[in-house]
Amino acid sequence: MGFTLYNLIEAALLCINAVAILSERFLSKLSGNANINYPNVGGYGVDNQNSGGAKQQLLTLIRSVRTVMRIPLIAFNVVTIMFLILFG
Amino acid sequence: MSSDGPIYRTKNYPHPQQQQSSQFYQPTTPSPQSQASNAHEGDYTVPNPQSHNGFFSPQTAFYGSSNQATSSIEFLSNNPFLNVGFNVVEQGMKDMTDKTINMLPNQMKKSLSSIKYYFAVDQTYVIKKLCLILFPFRPRNWSIGYNADEPVPPRVDTNAPDYYIPLMSAITYVLVAGLVLGIQNRFTPEQLGMHATSVLIWNIIEILILSITFYIFNIQSKLRILDLIAYCGYKYVGMITALSSYLITDSLFIYRLALLYISISLSYFLVKCLRLQILPDIGGSQPYNTNGNTRRIYLLLFVVLLQPLFIWYLTQHLIIP
Repeated sequence: MGFTLYNLIEAALLCINAVAILSERFLSKLSGNANINYPNVGGYGVDNQNSGGAKQQLLTLIRSVRTVMRIPLIAFNVVTIMFLILFG
Repeated sequence: MSSDGPIYRTKNYPHPQQQQSSQFYQPTTPSPQSQASNAHEGDYTVPNPQSHNGFFSPQTAFYGSSNQATSSIEFLSNNPFLNVGFNVVEQGMKDMTDKTINMLPNQMKKSLSSIKYYFAVDQTYVIKKLCLILFPFRPRNWSIGYNADEPVPPRVDTNAPDYYIPLMSAITYVLVAGLVLGIQNRFTPEQLGMHATSVLIWNIIEILILSITFYIFNIQSKLRILDLIAYCGYKYVGMITALSSYLITDSLFIYRLALLYISISLSYFLVKCLRLQILPDIGGSQPYNTNGNTRRIYLLLFVVLLQPLFIWYLTQHLIIP
Protein backbone atom coordinates (compact mmCIF):
# COMPACT_ATOMS: atom_id res chain seq x y z
CA MET A 1 0.00 0.00 0.00
CA GLY A 2 2.93 2.31 0.43
CA PHE A 3 2.89 3.47 -3.14
CA THR A 4 4.42 6.79 -3.84
CA LEU A 5 4.62 8.70 -7.07
CA TYR A 6 8.29 7.97 -7.18
CA ASN A 7 7.58 4.23 -7.17
CA LEU A 8 5.39 4.66 -10.20
CA ILE A 9 8.04 6.63 -12.06
CA GLU A 10 10.68 4.09 -11.18
CA ALA A 11 8.52 1.17 -12.33
CA ALA A 12 7.73 2.91 -15.61
CA LEU A 13 11.39 3.69 -16.19
CA LEU A 14 12.38 0.09 -15.58
CA CYS A 15 9.68 -1.19 -17.93
CA ILE A 16 10.74 1.13 -20.72
CA ASN A 17 14.35 0.15 -20.15
CA ALA A 18 13.35 -3.49 -20.53
CA VAL A 19 11.59 -2.71 -23.79
CA ALA A 20 14.59 -0.81 -25.08
CA ILE A 21 17.01 -3.60 -24.32
CA LEU A 22 15.25 -6.20 -26.47
CA SER A 23 17.48 -7.17 -29.36
CA GLU A 24 16.37 -6.53 -32.88
CA ARG A 25 17.15 -10.05 -34.01
CA PHE A 26 14.84 -11.50 -31.40
CA LEU A 27 12.06 -9.19 -32.48
CA SER A 28 12.41 -10.00 -36.14
CA LYS A 29 12.45 -13.68 -35.29
CA LEU A 30 9.20 -13.21 -33.39
CA SER A 31 7.44 -11.32 -36.11
CA GLY A 32 8.19 -14.08 -38.58
CA ASN A 33 9.19 -11.93 -41.54
CA ALA A 34 11.66 -13.28 -44.01
CA ASN A 35 13.54 -10.11 -44.87
CA ILE A 36 14.38 -7.47 -42.30
CA ASN A 37 15.74 -5.04 -44.87
CA TYR A 38 12.40 -4.14 -46.37
CA PRO A 39 10.49 -1.44 -44.50
CA ASN A 40 6.99 -2.80 -45.08
CA VAL A 41 6.98 -6.18 -43.45
CA GLY A 42 4.69 -7.79 -40.99
CA GLY A 43 1.28 -6.27 -41.00
CA TYR A 44 1.76 -3.04 -42.87
CA GLY A 45 0.37 -4.23 -46.14
CA VAL A 46 -2.85 -5.54 -44.69
CA ASP A 47 -5.97 -3.43 -44.53
CA ASN A 48 -6.48 -1.29 -41.50
CA GLN A 49 -9.41 -3.04 -39.92
CA ASN A 50 -7.69 -6.25 -39.06
CA SER A 51 -4.03 -5.39 -39.50
CA GLY A 52 -2.13 -8.30 -38.21
CA GLY A 53 -3.77 -9.19 -34.96
CA ALA A 54 -2.44 -8.93 -31.44
CA LYS A 55 1.11 -10.01 -32.14
CA GLN A 56 1.67 -7.47 -34.89
CA GLN A 57 0.19 -4.70 -32.79
CA LEU A 58 2.42 -5.61 -29.91
CA LEU A 59 5.49 -5.65 -32.12
CA THR A 60 4.51 -2.34 -33.67
CA LEU A 61 4.10 -0.89 -30.22
CA ILE A 62 7.49 -2.18 -29.11
CA ARG A 63 9.22 -0.90 -32.21
CA SER A 64 7.67 2.55 -31.93
CA VAL A 65 8.51 2.82 -28.23
CA ARG A 66 12.10 1.92 -28.99
CA THR A 67 12.38 4.43 -31.78
CA VAL A 68 10.89 7.25 -29.79
CA MET A 69 12.40 6.67 -26.39
CA ARG A 70 15.97 5.78 -27.33
CA ILE A 71 17.52 9.17 -26.69
CA PRO A 72 15.30 10.48 -23.89
CA LEU A 73 15.85 7.23 -22.03
CA ILE A 74 19.51 7.97 -21.71
CA ALA A 75 18.72 11.29 -20.10
CA PHE A 76 16.07 9.80 -17.77
CA ASN A 77 18.38 7.05 -16.66
CA VAL A 78 21.24 9.41 -15.93
CA VAL A 79 18.98 11.72 -13.94
CA THR A 80 17.49 8.83 -11.95
CA ILE A 81 20.90 7.41 -11.17
CA MET A 82 22.09 10.78 -9.93
CA PHE A 83 19.00 11.18 -7.75
CA LEU A 84 19.50 7.74 -6.29
CA ILE A 85 23.13 8.40 -5.55
CA LEU A 86 22.45 11.76 -3.95
CA PHE A 87 19.28 11.03 -2.04
CA GLY A 88 19.40 7.30 -1.46
CA MET B 1 -13.46 53.39 -13.82
CA SER B 2 -15.89 55.75 -12.23
CA SER B 3 -16.53 55.41 -8.57
CA ASP B 4 -20.05 56.78 -8.26
CA GLY B 5 -21.86 53.59 -7.57
CA PRO B 6 -25.26 54.69 -6.34
CA ILE B 7 -25.81 57.08 -9.22
CA TYR B 8 -25.89 54.25 -11.68
CA ARG B 9 -28.58 52.37 -9.87
CA THR B 10 -31.21 53.32 -12.37
CA LYS B 11 -28.99 53.25 -15.41
CA ASN B 12 -27.42 49.87 -15.07
CA TYR B 13 -30.41 47.61 -15.06
CA PRO B 14 -30.82 47.13 -18.85
CA HIS B 15 -27.30 45.84 -19.34
CA PRO B 16 -27.58 42.05 -19.42
CA GLN B 17 -23.91 41.28 -19.07
CA GLN B 18 -23.72 42.94 -15.73
CA GLN B 19 -26.60 41.15 -14.18
CA GLN B 20 -24.24 38.35 -13.34
CA SER B 21 -22.50 40.43 -10.73
CA SER B 22 -23.22 39.63 -7.16
CA GLN B 23 -26.33 40.98 -5.65
CA PHE B 24 -24.49 42.77 -2.93
CA TYR B 25 -23.25 45.70 -4.94
CA GLN B 26 -24.58 47.74 -7.72
CA PRO B 27 -22.84 47.03 -11.01
CA THR B 28 -20.98 49.98 -12.45
CA THR B 29 -21.06 50.73 -16.14
CA PRO B 30 -17.99 50.62 -18.34
CA SER B 31 -16.43 53.94 -19.27
CA PRO B 32 -18.24 54.71 -22.57
CA GLN B 33 -21.41 55.16 -20.59
CA SER B 34 -19.95 57.56 -18.07
CA GLN B 35 -20.67 60.61 -20.17
CA ALA B 36 -24.30 59.76 -20.54
CA SER B 37 -24.72 59.19 -16.86
CA ASN B 38 -23.06 62.41 -15.83
CA ALA B 39 -26.09 64.24 -17.03
CA HIS B 40 -28.27 62.33 -14.64
CA GLU B 41 -26.65 63.24 -11.41
CA GLY B 42 -29.94 64.60 -10.31
CA ASP B 43 -31.27 61.09 -10.16
CA TYR B 44 -29.41 60.54 -6.97
CA THR B 45 -32.15 62.31 -5.12
CA VAL B 46 -34.82 59.98 -6.49
CA PRO B 47 -36.35 58.18 -3.52
CA ASN B 48 -35.86 54.49 -3.07
CA PRO B 49 -39.18 53.02 -4.30
CA GLN B 50 -38.65 54.29 -7.79
CA SER B 51 -35.12 53.04 -8.00
CA HIS B 52 -36.18 49.65 -6.76
CA ASN B 53 -38.42 49.22 -9.80
CA GLY B 54 -35.35 49.05 -11.94
CA PHE B 55 -33.86 46.08 -10.18
CA PHE B 56 -34.07 42.58 -11.43
CA SER B 57 -35.87 40.08 -9.26
CA PRO B 58 -33.05 38.57 -7.14
CA GLN B 59 -32.39 41.93 -5.65
CA THR B 60 -36.01 42.66 -4.93
CA ALA B 61 -36.28 39.25 -3.40
CA PHE B 62 -33.23 39.94 -1.33
CA TYR B 63 -34.34 43.29 -0.12
CA GLY B 64 -37.91 42.21 0.35
CA SER B 65 -40.89 44.41 -0.34
CA SER B 66 -39.70 47.10 2.06
CA ASN B 67 -37.33 49.78 0.97
CA GLN B 68 -35.15 49.49 4.02
CA ALA B 69 -32.01 47.54 3.65
CA THR B 70 -30.09 47.04 6.85
CA SER B 71 -27.46 49.61 7.46
CA SER B 72 -24.57 47.21 6.92
CA ILE B 73 -25.83 46.11 3.54
CA GLU B 74 -26.45 49.70 2.54
CA PHE B 75 -22.91 50.43 3.57
CA LEU B 76 -21.70 47.58 1.42
CA SER B 77 -23.75 48.57 -1.58
CA ASN B 78 -23.27 52.30 -1.24
CA ASN B 79 -19.58 52.21 -0.68
CA PRO B 80 -18.07 53.23 -3.99
CA PHE B 81 -14.61 52.00 -3.19
CA LEU B 82 -15.91 48.51 -2.60
CA ASN B 83 -17.41 48.60 -6.07
CA VAL B 84 -14.10 49.63 -7.52
CA GLY B 85 -12.30 46.95 -5.57
CA PHE B 86 -14.71 44.23 -6.64
CA ASN B 87 -14.53 45.24 -10.24
CA VAL B 88 -10.77 45.39 -10.29
CA VAL B 89 -10.47 41.97 -8.70
CA GLU B 90 -13.02 40.47 -11.06
CA GLN B 91 -11.28 41.97 -14.06
CA GLY B 92 -7.88 40.82 -12.86
CA MET B 93 -9.02 37.25 -12.31
CA LYS B 94 -10.64 37.09 -15.69
CA ASP B 95 -7.47 38.41 -17.29
CA MET B 96 -5.32 35.90 -15.49
CA THR B 97 -7.42 32.90 -16.47
CA ASP B 98 -7.72 34.12 -20.03
CA LYS B 99 -4.01 34.61 -20.29
CA THR B 100 -3.19 31.16 -18.92
CA ILE B 101 -5.71 29.51 -21.18
CA ASN B 102 -4.42 31.32 -24.21
CA MET B 103 -0.87 30.44 -23.39
CA LEU B 104 -1.59 26.73 -23.74
CA PRO B 105 -1.03 25.11 -27.13
CA ASN B 106 -4.01 24.31 -29.27
CA GLN B 107 -4.31 20.66 -28.38
CA MET B 108 -4.58 21.39 -24.70
CA LYS B 109 -7.28 23.94 -25.36
CA LYS B 110 -9.30 21.29 -27.10
CA SER B 111 -8.83 18.81 -24.30
CA LEU B 112 -9.74 21.48 -21.75
CA SER B 113 -13.05 22.02 -23.47
CA SER B 114 -13.65 18.31 -23.78
CA ILE B 115 -12.97 17.88 -20.08
CA LYS B 116 -15.43 20.67 -19.40
CA TYR B 117 -18.05 18.46 -21.02
CA TYR B 118 -17.64 15.93 -18.25
CA PHE B 119 -18.25 18.45 -15.52
CA ALA B 120 -21.55 19.71 -16.91
CA VAL B 121 -23.66 18.00 -14.29
CA ASP B 122 -26.47 19.03 -12.05
CA GLN B 123 -28.03 17.64 -8.92
CA THR B 124 -30.71 15.46 -10.44
CA TYR B 125 -28.11 13.81 -12.62
CA VAL B 126 -25.85 13.08 -9.65
CA ILE B 127 -28.65 11.61 -7.59
CA LYS B 128 -29.92 9.48 -10.44
CA LYS B 129 -26.47 8.22 -11.26
CA LEU B 130 -25.69 7.34 -7.66
CA CYS B 131 -28.94 5.39 -7.34
CA LEU B 132 -28.11 3.72 -10.61
CA ILE B 133 -24.68 2.60 -9.45
CA LEU B 134 -26.10 1.19 -6.25
CA PHE B 135 -29.14 -0.43 -7.83
CA PRO B 136 -28.88 -0.91 -11.58
CA PHE B 137 -31.23 -3.84 -11.82
CA ARG B 138 -34.38 -2.15 -13.03
CA PRO B 139 -35.12 -2.53 -16.72
CA ARG B 140 -34.26 0.68 -18.50
CA ASN B 141 -32.75 2.09 -21.62
CA TRP B 142 -28.98 2.32 -21.42
CA SER B 143 -28.17 4.01 -24.69
CA ILE B 144 -26.37 7.31 -24.74
CA GLY B 145 -28.09 10.20 -26.43
CA TYR B 146 -26.29 11.89 -29.27
CA ASN B 147 -26.87 15.34 -30.61
CA ALA B 148 -25.58 15.75 -34.15
CA ASP B 149 -22.84 13.19 -33.68
CA GLU B 150 -21.72 14.70 -30.41
CA PRO B 151 -22.53 13.03 -27.13
CA VAL B 152 -25.04 14.95 -25.10
CA PRO B 153 -23.72 16.51 -21.86
CA PRO B 154 -24.50 14.62 -18.67
CA ARG B 155 -26.92 17.25 -17.52
CA VAL B 156 -29.35 16.14 -20.17
CA ASP B 157 -28.72 12.43 -20.44
CA THR B 158 -28.44 10.21 -17.38
CA ASN B 159 -26.45 7.58 -19.21
CA ALA B 160 -23.54 9.80 -20.12
CA PRO B 161 -20.29 9.44 -18.17
CA ASP B 162 -19.08 12.32 -16.06
CA TYR B 163 -16.08 13.25 -13.94
CA TYR B 164 -17.83 14.83 -11.02
CA ILE B 165 -18.91 11.62 -9.31
CA PRO B 166 -15.54 9.84 -9.66
CA LEU B 167 -13.62 12.87 -8.46
CA MET B 168 -15.83 13.52 -5.46
CA SER B 169 -16.07 9.89 -4.50
CA ALA B 170 -12.30 9.45 -4.74
CA ILE B 171 -11.81 12.36 -2.35
CA THR B 172 -14.52 11.01 -0.06
CA TYR B 173 -12.85 7.63 -0.12
CA VAL B 174 -9.61 9.17 1.13
CA LEU B 175 -11.52 10.85 3.95
CA VAL B 176 -13.47 7.73 4.88
CA ALA B 177 -10.25 5.70 4.87
CA GLY B 178 -8.82 8.24 7.29
CA LEU B 179 -11.91 7.82 9.44
CA VAL B 180 -11.59 4.05 9.51
CA LEU B 181 -7.93 4.31 10.38
CA GLY B 182 -8.73 6.78 13.11
CA ILE B 183 -11.23 4.46 14.71
CA GLN B 184 -8.61 1.77 14.79
CA ASN B 185 -6.11 4.23 16.29
CA ARG B 186 -3.86 3.84 13.31
CA PHE B 187 -4.23 7.33 11.97
CA THR B 188 -1.46 9.76 11.23
CA PRO B 189 -1.82 12.72 8.86
CA GLU B 190 0.61 11.16 6.43
CA GLN B 191 -1.88 8.37 5.86
CA LEU B 192 -4.23 10.79 4.17
CA GLY B 193 -1.58 11.86 1.72
CA MET B 194 -0.53 8.28 1.14
CA HIS B 195 -4.06 7.21 0.40
CA ALA B 196 -4.59 10.08 -1.99
CA THR B 197 -1.37 9.23 -3.80
CA SER B 198 -2.21 5.58 -4.04
CA VAL B 199 -5.70 6.39 -5.40
CA LEU B 200 -4.07 8.49 -8.10
CA ILE B 201 -1.44 5.89 -8.88
CA TRP B 202 -3.82 2.96 -9.06
CA ASN B 203 -6.05 4.98 -11.34
CA ILE B 204 -3.13 5.72 -13.63
CA ILE B 205 -2.03 2.09 -13.65
CA GLU B 206 -5.52 0.86 -14.41
CA ILE B 207 -6.06 3.31 -17.25
CA LEU B 208 -2.65 2.49 -18.69
CA ILE B 209 -3.28 -1.25 -18.61
CA LEU B 210 -6.71 -0.84 -20.18
CA SER B 211 -5.48 1.53 -22.88
CA ILE B 212 -2.60 -0.75 -23.81
CA THR B 213 -4.96 -3.71 -23.91
CA PHE B 214 -7.34 -1.80 -26.15
CA TYR B 215 -4.48 -0.90 -28.44
CA ILE B 216 -2.92 -4.33 -28.60
CA PHE B 217 -6.15 -6.05 -29.42
CA ASN B 218 -6.79 -3.46 -32.06
CA ILE B 219 -10.32 -2.74 -31.07
CA GLN B 220 -11.94 0.21 -32.75
CA SER B 221 -14.68 1.32 -30.46
CA LYS B 222 -16.55 4.46 -29.67
CA LEU B 223 -15.08 4.47 -26.22
CA ARG B 224 -12.59 7.25 -25.76
CA ILE B 225 -9.89 7.19 -23.11
CA LEU B 226 -11.60 10.05 -21.30
CA ASP B 227 -14.78 8.00 -21.07
CA LEU B 228 -12.80 5.07 -19.76
CA ILE B 229 -11.35 7.22 -17.00
CA ALA B 230 -14.88 8.14 -15.97
CA TYR B 231 -16.13 4.56 -15.97
CA CYS B 232 -13.16 3.39 -13.95
CA GLY B 233 -13.88 6.05 -11.41
CA TYR B 234 -17.30 4.78 -10.49
CA LYS B 235 -15.88 2.07 -8.28
CA TYR B 236 -15.06 4.58 -5.57
CA VAL B 237 -18.75 4.92 -4.84
CA GLY B 238 -18.85 1.21 -4.10
CA MET B 239 -15.75 1.43 -1.95
CA ILE B 240 -17.28 4.19 0.09
CA THR B 241 -20.46 2.24 0.75
CA ALA B 242 -18.56 -0.90 1.71
CA LEU B 243 -16.30 1.04 4.06
CA SER B 244 -19.23 2.95 5.56
CA SER B 245 -21.11 -0.26 6.19
CA TYR B 246 -18.06 -1.55 8.02
CA LEU B 247 -17.81 1.67 9.98
CA ILE B 248 -21.43 1.70 11.00
CA THR B 249 -21.88 -1.89 11.97
CA ASP B 250 -18.27 -2.89 12.76
CA SER B 251 -18.96 -6.43 11.71
CA LEU B 252 -16.87 -8.29 9.19
CA PHE B 253 -19.86 -10.19 7.87
CA ILE B 254 -21.73 -7.04 6.87
CA TYR B 255 -18.59 -5.71 5.24
CA ARG B 256 -18.14 -8.83 3.16
CA LEU B 257 -21.82 -8.80 2.24
CA ALA B 258 -21.62 -5.17 1.17
CA LEU B 259 -18.49 -5.93 -0.84
CA LEU B 260 -20.25 -8.76 -2.63
CA TYR B 261 -23.31 -6.70 -3.41
CA ILE B 262 -21.23 -3.77 -4.60
CA SER B 263 -19.20 -6.00 -6.87
CA ILE B 264 -22.30 -7.52 -8.42
CA SER B 265 -24.11 -4.25 -8.94
CA LEU B 266 -21.04 -2.42 -10.23
CA SER B 267 -20.28 -5.23 -12.66
CA TYR B 268 -23.88 -5.23 -13.89
CA PHE B 269 -23.82 -1.46 -14.24
CA LEU B 270 -20.58 -1.44 -16.17
CA VAL B 271 -21.59 -4.28 -18.45
CA LYS B 272 -24.78 -2.48 -19.33
CA CYS B 273 -23.01 0.82 -19.88
CA LEU B 274 -20.05 -0.45 -21.85
CA ARG B 275 -21.87 -3.08 -23.84
CA LEU B 276 -23.22 -0.53 -26.24
CA GLN B 277 -19.86 1.11 -26.70
CA ILE B 278 -17.39 -1.72 -26.96
CA LEU B 279 -19.39 -4.43 -28.66
CA PRO B 280 -20.11 -3.80 -32.31
CA ASP B 281 -23.47 -2.77 -33.67
CA ILE B 282 -25.95 -5.45 -34.50
CA GLY B 283 -26.18 -4.46 -38.14
CA GLY B 284 -22.40 -4.21 -38.34
CA SER B 285 -20.54 -4.00 -41.59
CA GLN B 286 -17.66 -6.15 -40.50
CA PRO B 287 -18.39 -9.67 -41.62
CA TYR B 288 -14.81 -10.85 -41.35
CA ASN B 289 -14.30 -9.65 -37.85
CA THR B 290 -15.65 -12.59 -35.91
CA ASN B 291 -12.36 -12.66 -34.05
CA GLY B 292 -12.92 -9.08 -33.07
CA ASN B 293 -16.24 -9.88 -31.45
CA THR B 294 -14.81 -12.50 -29.17
CA ARG B 295 -11.97 -10.24 -28.28
CA ARG B 296 -14.31 -7.42 -27.50
CA ILE B 297 -16.38 -9.58 -25.22
CA TYR B 298 -13.27 -10.73 -23.40
CA LEU B 299 -12.08 -7.17 -23.09
CA LEU B 300 -15.40 -6.07 -21.68
CA LEU B 301 -15.28 -8.87 -19.16
CA PHE B 302 -11.75 -7.94 -18.28
CA VAL B 303 -12.68 -4.34 -17.64
CA VAL B 304 -15.64 -5.35 -15.59
CA LEU B 305 -13.80 -7.93 -13.52
CA LEU B 306 -10.94 -5.60 -12.81
CA GLN B 307 -13.16 -3.29 -10.80
CA PRO B 308 -14.23 -5.63 -7.99
CA LEU B 309 -10.65 -6.79 -7.73
CA PHE B 310 -9.53 -3.24 -7.18
CA ILE B 311 -12.30 -2.60 -4.71
CA TRP B 312 -11.33 -5.59 -2.68
CA TYR B 313 -7.64 -4.85 -2.83
CA LEU B 314 -7.91 -1.21 -1.97
CA THR B 315 -10.13 -1.74 1.05
CA GLN B 316 -8.41 -4.84 2.35
CA HIS B 317 -5.70 -3.11 4.28
CA LEU B 318 -8.16 -0.98 6.17
CA ILE B 319 -10.07 -3.88 7.64
CA ILE B 320 -8.57 -5.89 10.40
CA PRO B 321 -10.60 -8.83 11.70
